[in-house]
Amino acid sequence: MIRFQKKNLLYKIYIRLPILILFISVFNEFDLNYLNIDYFSFNFPFILIFWFALKAYNRFDYLFVFLAGLVNDTVVGLPLGLSSLSYILICIFASYLRNITISPNLIKDWFYFLFIISLINSINYSILFLFFSYELDITLFIVNNFFTFLFYIIFSIFFKRYLKSLDD
Amino acid sequence: MASSRDDFIIAIRSAFLKKSTQQKFSLLTLVFFSIVIIVLSSFNLKAITLTKSFIKEIVYRSSFIISVPENFIKSSYVNLREYTNYYSEFKITKEELDQLKSENISSKIVKSENEELKSLIDGYAFTSNKILAKVIVDHESPFLRSIVINKGSKEKIKIGTNIYDRSYLVGRVIEVNYTNSRVLLLTDLNSNIPVSITPGNVQAIVAGNGDKRGEIKYIKNDLINKIDDKGIAYTSGTGSIFKSGIPVGTIDSKNKDEKIFINFYSDFTQLKYVFAEIDELMPSSVVTEENDQTEVSSNTEQIKLDLISDELQILEDSNTKFIEENKELNTLTNELNKQIEILKAENDFQKNVIQKHDLDKEEYEFLRLNLIYSSKCQSKKLFSTGFKVGTPEYRKCIMQRGKKSD
Repeated sequence: MIRFQKKNLLYKIYIRLPILILFISVFNEFDLNYLNIDYFSFNFPFILIFWFALKAYNRFDYLFVFLAGLVNDTVVGLPLGLSSLSYILICIFASYLRNITISPNLIKDWFYFLFIISLINSINYSILFLFFSYELDITLFIVNNFFTFLFYIIFSIFFKRYLKSLDD
Repeated sequence: MASSRDDFIIAIRSAFLKKSTQQKFSLLTLVFFSIVIIVLSSFNLKAITLTKSFIKEIVYRSSFIISVPENFIKSSYVNLREYTNYYSEFKITKEELDQLKSENISSKIVKSENEELKSLIDGYAFTSNKILAKVIVDHESPFLRSIVINKGSKEKIKIGTNIYDRSYLVGRVIEVNYTNSRVLLLTDLNSNIPVSITPGNVQAIVAGNGDKRGEIKYIKNDLINKIDDKGIAYTSGTGSIFKSGIPVGTIDSKNKDEKIFINFYSDFTQLKYVFAEIDELMPSSVVTEENDQTEVSSNTEQIKLDLISDELQILEDSNTKFIEENKELNTLTNELNKQIEILKAENDFQKNVIQKHDLDKEEYEFLRLNLIYSSKCQSKKLFSTGFKVGTPEYRKCIMQRGKKSD
């Protein structure tokens, strides 16, 4: 196990790793699209934001989440502010879940996450379709929603390990 | 009941308003900011457009730099896959190249003729300068298919500028910043291209299906059967969104739902460099000649001049070829005329020989019969009924074998 000296630059980078990964993923649109699997896509920032807003909100600055949303909108070509709204809404729902939960349960979190991303994708679809007249394929949204839901469990294992390494 | 309601309100208030030590803004403030930005970005005010453009400039550049490692991995993967199919593809490509070389010359001639005719029709010709642009952001969103190129309003790119991969259509510009612009790809659901489909010259609209292909829409049912499985779709130019005659793709086989798809010529996942076509209206007469000297310095003009000189070379070559052929044909005609004259002379000579032979034959017959019938036809006595030798009557008598006719 790598151990960092506190106040070390590497340690500072390490504790801000979620935000860094979030920015890299929005700049890169990291969703394994180049595998060219039909309809396959998932929303990595949703998973990351939800998990860290739920489990490690003290190390997760919402302002950066908001800025990451702006970057994502610019890169993807969506109306500016839409992804920021989505990301902040995820933070709000995660924060609400955190406040009402006494004993955390991964499965409950997982299905709550499904509900949240479905709701947010529906809001996104409605805004784009009704206010900005975008032609969108709803199948892609549903498939994206499904894979994001599936990948939550896999990524949560890695995030948990990361958090554990920080606490150690 | 009342306590659970209180808990709910406390949780909501805590989620929205409570600001922990690490946070600079509450979530409610950020939601408010987001909504304000969405609303403001839908207005076309100059200040907002400039701000948006500035943000986009920074984000696109940053995205390009951050994507370098991922792009390297992607390109390595693609290269590896290409190497495995290298030999078989090489053979096919070689055959295609030979065919294309031959087609290229004729297409150049047709193009130059077309330009001449266009300039004759309205006195103006579109000069299209194709500038090379690098794809700086190519992140495939599952919902929107677009790329960002490193050419913007600085290089006279406008909204609607046609973008090409070699000579195939890729899409059009939908957003222009100072040094970069966003291109909506043909595969995007929001993309609609008016096309003509050959054979049959069927007019239709090709819409992106959000995947790799395009779908033919807005076509009359009775025209569907006219579309061949190996038909070619090219832009019809209707609506003046795209120029006419640009190759788009080939018709894929029809499926069970009678939907017709188009396989685009270009692979939009592999775009690294594209061409942006900048149209300028230029008078085709004297003005062009005056401007020529100043424009020669630019590379694009040089390429255009090279192309025109190539076309001229082709025309000269074909002209020389025609002249040579003409000369050969003239020589051949002269030779043939001479032969005809010789044959005519021979023919006359032979006719004379035949005629002479006929005369000789007649004379021979006369002499033969003369020996037999001379006594019958000659006048020997004073009151005989014969004829004097040498007269035509005597000859007639001999030829009639001694019969005297009055």
